[in-house]
Amino acid sequence: MLEDIGFVDVQIGPAADTFGGATGEEKARAFEVYGYAFLARNPG
Amino acid sequence: MSEDLLVDPQTLREQVRDKYREVAVDPHRTFHFHTGRHLAARLGYERDAVDALPDRAVESFAGVGNPFSLRRLEPGERVVDVGSGAGFDSFIAADQVTDTGRVVGVDMTQEMLTKSRETAAALGYTHVEFREGLAESLPVEDGWADAVVSNGVINLCADKQAVFTDIRRVLEPGGWLQFADIANGRPVPPEALRDIDLWTG
Repeated sequence: MLEDIGFVDVQIGPAADTFGGATGEEKARAFEVYGYAFLARNPG
Repeated sequence: MSEDLLVDPQTLREQVRDKYREVAVDPHRTFHFHTGRHLAARLGYERDAVDALPDRAVESFAGVGNPFSLRRLEPGERVVDVGSGAGFDSFIAADQVTDTGRVVGVDMTQEMLTKSRETAAALGYTHVEFREGLAESLPVEDGWADAVVSNGVINLCADKQAVFTDIRRVLEPGGWLQFADIANGRPVPPEALRDIDLWTG
């Protein structure tokens, strides 16, 4: 979607176990939900 | 509501407001996600930067990743924090851009805005301000920002295309979008995608 909207140089960081140990962990594990950092540039 | 959207945007906003109002006023209760300093450490924020902040700036933090991990902001940059909550990422950004830069946090939850504004005043941060607004229609002029940050917010917006389009509007040419959000590795059943209660918990 980022590239469809016109962003370029898209990068995605490693997965973070955002919900591990939280009460939402079971649901997160069921769908392999993790947190990620994204970086993208608005073309000049 | 557009037929392309899975849930009604306004209904979802009300549910998100209800949830994050609780995070603002009662941050130490149990949520389905982590909060506060424990979460910031888990997500790899620089310890010195977090330790320098008072509890009220950190306790309501409920992000899902570290939007500063792929790119550190530079002194003098102008930054918009989309869904700034109680201000944690805005204050981290404020430290990185220094007082030669500027940070505008945008949030739709009044309790979060009140908390972030009071914290900014307590910190004496004159280069940070918090504005009421929506991610789909940011109260920021075209091309103002060198960088836009956000953390765990865009997944809570029904119309993500509208959010990213407005972020592009406020970014100057060459500006950076650096955000953290969740993504699933296994497909979510279509009926679950349309269950609005699952969006916030």
